Amino acid sequence: MIEEFQQDSQWEKIAYFPGCSLNSTAIDFNVSLKNLLKLLKIEFKEIDDWNCCGTTPAHNVSEELSIILSARNLLLAKKMGYENILCPCVSCYCKLLKASKVINSDLKPENRLEENRRDLVFKELKNMGFDINQKFNFRVYSIVHFLLLIKEKIGNKYLEIKNDVNNSKEFELLRGLKPVCYYGCVILRPDYVIKFDNIENPTSMESILKEVGIESLNFPFKTECCGAILSLTNKNIVIELSEKILSAAQDAGANCIIVCCPLCQQNLDLRQPQINNYSKSNYRFPIFYISQILGLALGLSFKNAMIDKLFVEPDIRI
Amino acid sequence: MKKKDNNLSSKIRDEIINFIEPDIYYCYQCGRCTAGCPLSNVYKYQPNQIIRLIGANKIESIFNSNSIYLCLSCEICSSRCPQEINVAAIMNYLRNKSWQYRSFKERAILNFYKVFLKIIGIFGRSYEPALILNLNLLSGKFFNDMDLALNILRKRKIKLFPEFVKDRAKLSRLVKKYL
Repeated sequence: MIEEFQQDSQWEKIAYFPGCSLNSTAIDFNVSLKNLLKLLKIEFKEIDDWNCCGTTPAHNVSEELSIILSARNLLLAKKMGYENILCPCVSCYCKLLKASKVINSDLKPENRLEENRRDLVFKELKNMGFDINQKFNFRVYSIVHFLLLIKEKIGNKYLEIKNDVNNSKEFELLRGLKPVCYYGCVILRPDYVIKFDNIENPTSMESILKEVGIESLNFPFKTECCGAILSLTNKNIVIELSEKILSAAQDAGANCIIVCCPLCQQNLDLRQPQINNYSKSNYRFPIFYISQILGLALGLSFKNAMIDKLFVEPDIRI
Repeated sequence: MKKKDNNLSSKIRDEIINFIEPDIYYCYQCGRCTAGCPLSNVYKYQPNQIIRLIGANKIESIFNSNSIYLCLSCEICSSRCPQEINVAAIMNYLRNKSWQYRSFKERAILNFYKVFLKIIGIFGRSYEPALILNLNLLSGKFFNDMDLALNILRKRKIKLFPEFVKDRAKLSRLVKKYL
């Protein structure tokens, strides 16, 4: 079941699902994105009493558990009157997207397994006190998909402010940027895909950054896995896989990496000293979130884009 | 004991064939899934071998190897398969079944999932300090990633106090069913 990307998708009223990592280790992603949305005058509302979607542990233990945990968040959004949900964390996005594909009213289960799964999910949601006899039409958006939808807004805002004479430190940083865009393995490849970009050689992030005058370099490791959640149990695998990404960025001539996934950012940023130790190298790549760079380009200060939270700091004094 | 295992193996194999489409017999062993897999150098059985093992009714061998537990669900395998076999979904199905039938072999990863889910059951959201403390205690590597923890603290990128979901009692009951 593949949906074609629609430019005029309805998103005006959007709920915001931060997820656990945006609340802690990816706080810079959370704050920079919220400030960016406020700059662009996009209304959003954080889901009240949201719970952890279970991410990899729930999904790997039981698909049903993962769907139920995510569906609770969807139904909480519905309670607030929202059916469009922005999910910046890529792992949460996949889980909430999967849950929406199970409970949305216009989709029919294709076999006995899917039917049983759907019945179980509805039963548990009913136990939690939700009204399951409504029509559901949830649309869950990843950060890159959402930014593509508002690309024009971003471009227009940039045109508004770019002619202001600006010698600020923020613009100095942006002028010296030679980024590569790293998508991570999951954002383009969940089970049910909304086809908004090429899976092997995506260009969404590059085209969004072009709207604010930033040229990205080409890079063959755009969608290679960084090691993801194995960071907590098999960190040697993560160090090995992440090192390949840094090495490819260096070969491309980049001086920083722009990412859209909190787990990728942590693996590449926080573990950079460990990676250097392993490969006897001295990589020094700041790993920016795309919301931080867009925010800076549209006028956010270093503080509001939380650039100081980066472990590998950029060369500019913040 | 062997007969019971064989029955279970057949049951799981039949479920995979009947419910995940297209079925594994479409696989002609081209190896593209394995070629794209980031973990192929640490797997005992490669993705294409796992597909063959299912067809040969050797689910027990799959449960006793490391592949399904280390699999990252990056889904490169599914996206590369010329027959559109959903290899990633099959890996997850096997993983779920190994948990259900208490055959989950990788201790460290099993502990991680248990601790993580227990924390969700208690708070409703993740709480990193408790997670990392528990994992380090269970693995015996008390100072594992201490350098990372210090950096995270220095940058104030961790929530020192947990957040509670108001409706967490229901979540707790739900999670307990799967632990």
